[in-house]
Amino acid sequence: MSKPTAGIFGLTGCAGDQLVILNCEDQLLDLVALIDIRDFLMAGSANDTGCDLDIAFVEGAVMSKRDEQALRRVRARARTLVAIGTCAVWGGVAATDESAPRDAWLEEVYGPTGADYDSLPARALHEVVQVDYQITGCPIEKDEFVSAVANLLNGDAPLLPQYAVCVECKFRECGCLLTERGEVCCGPMTVAGCNARCPALRIPCVGCRGPAADANFASATAMFTEGGVSPQDVARKLRTFAPQGVQQ
Amino acid sequence: MSTTIRIEHLARVEGHGGVTVVVEDGAVSDVRFDVFEGARLVETLVRGRRYEDVSQILSRICAICSVAHALTSIKATERAFGVEVSPQTKALRDLLFRGENIESHALHLFFLALPDYLGYPSAVALAKDYPDAVKIALRLKQLGNTIQEVIGGRAVHPVNAIVGGFGRVPAEEQLISLREALLAGIADCRAAMDLLVTLPAADYCHTDTVFAALDSTGGYGYFHGDEVTIVANGRRTQIPGDAYLGFTNEKAVPHSHAKHSSYNGRPYMVGALARLTAHHDKLDARAHEVMARLGLTLPSRDPMDNNKAQAVELSADLHLALETVDQLLSSGVHDEPPVAFQPRAGTGTAITEAPRGILIHSYRYDDEGKIASADVITPTALNAASVEDHLRCSVRQAGTNETAELTKRLEMIVRAYDPCISCSVHLVRRRDAE
Repeated sequence: MSKPTAGIFGLTGCAGDQLVILNCEDQLLDLVALIDIRDFLMAGSANDTGCDLDIAFVEGAVMSKRDEQALRRVRARARTLVAIGTCAVWGGVAATDESAPRDAWLEEVYGPTGADYDSLPARALHEVVQVDYQITGCPIEKDEFVSAVANLLNGDAPLLPQYAVCVECKFRECGCLLTERGEVCCGPMTVAGCNARCPALRIPCVGCRGPAADANFASATAMFTEGGVSPQDVARKLRTFAPQGVQQ
Repeated sequence: MSTTIRIEHLARVEGHGGVTVVVEDGAVSDVRFDVFEGARLVETLVRGRRYEDVSQILSRICAICSVAHALTSIKATERAFGVEVSPQTKALRDLLFRGENIESHALHLFFLALPDYLGYPSAVALAKDYPDAVKIALRLKQLGNTIQEVIGGRAVHPVNAIVGGFGRVPAEEQLISLREALLAGIADCRAAMDLLVTLPAADYCHTDTVFAALDSTGGYGYFHGDEVTIVANGRRTQIPGDAYLGFTNEKAVPHSHAKHSSYNGRPYMVGALARLTAHHDKLDARAHEVMARLGLTLPSRDPMDNNKAQAVELSADLHLALETVDQLLSSGVHDEPPVAFQPRAGTGTAITEAPRGILIHSYRYDDEGKIASADVITPTALNAASVEDHLRCSVRQAGTNETAELTKRLEMIVRAYDPCISCSVHLVRRRDAE
């Protein structure tokens, strides 16, 4: 049986999810033995840019017409399209509210010619094409990526948590930063999978993985506001990585 | 007669960029290092944000330099608030920066640059014929990541470093394991050097080059220090960090869509080669021996030497990281909380060395400890003018019109700069896709 073919692509972002794949030092040679990576511009210069792909992994947000065209081309080639990273799943840190004065910002950062740039507000992949699976995280977790690949090779859907970071935090028996120290910790609203990385270091969760399925934002906002943080600051904090996923 | 060489999308670099060179009647009439990464406008996204969120947001400018962005951000905030951190925090930050440099250089040298020298499209293809070399390279890269995980809490976008110190200081056992890993890494690096010294020369461009690098304090390093050293025609000039606009004075130039930085009207190069040129005297005899083995003589007139300079730093960083770990172990590492401070209105400018060169974060805070304005200047933006200068020079000196050969040379020169195009997009004007 021939090896499944795969491509790894980046739209606008920090390349962190592609870097996490390259950081799978212990698994990398096994991975390339199991899947035939045909198109991975960041890692190789002899890419087949037109072949059909069994699996395409795409990181980054859609932030330009160029990104949109690239994503549509990948979608047309791929049997299974997997969004990797918070930008691809939720729009990510560069996503802004619809009311953001984007044109004025473009001019401020890039000068008078900024207005002519091919620049669009950040969109998640699923807002542009059909996405089959989503692996969130800023960046993705190595273990989640490797087991998702194993699942896909076996014809299974990747198994990813839906519950909040607090669940993992309690499993690790970390002290609660929110109730014990009164810090603005986004753990209760944020989807798990990081093994409560930040709270375990006594750093409040910043919500970099995007919201959990059953997150209660109204309750969290009320709780933080009661602790003396202004509602605007709470809203901004919760909306840092996934504004579209956070209810007002 | 006019020929256009267009590299649509550079492979084996971080981000989305290309190169266009137009040759008319044997002379180069136009050179462009094109950037078409989307505009994320992160400087505007942090405006109004409280200080504790800023380093987390700005580290997302770039994954490969995420430690540099996060810690430079923290340094700028500490300058603005007048925060003085403990000696232990200083040592740990130094180590964290070295971890990123080890990882980034191992990635660039072996996975992005090396395949060109040996005629392969990628390190995966290379692994078929050089399995041991690729395994060594993977281990060195992993070691850099392990340092970042132990100190920073994560290999990409560190979480543990905050204004005032660290969330949790690594435990003694973790540092003892790190020590073992560094000793193994030093042996691996020696083996890797045996391969690097056998590489064929890539002699494509020779010209006088101006270099700029942080004048690091406390030895050869990437984080501590406030002055920049500029070396031009054998003359050294020191510039205080607060006066950074004096050498990042960007202006639009007619032949290019990139805003360019210059010093006294000349482009300059930042990165490993610039650091060694300005400050190799801070390195010990062992590092100079590595330099001699690799055939690197300073000052260099060849931008491809940046690859050799990265190899020298990779080797030196392993030894220097080991020294820092030993110091921490002998003084006894203690789980201290971050130092207390009061946010206040003020400005702070921080200059550091990301793996690919000078990185500047400069902030103005309001009296609530929220960002009023932020300015971020990245190494790849600083290098843009120099890249174009060296591309122009390589075409002039090539002695060939053959497109395939010229394309290969142009790609290798851009790659030698180890560009990080996600970073550069903040200040390099993007050239939009037609």
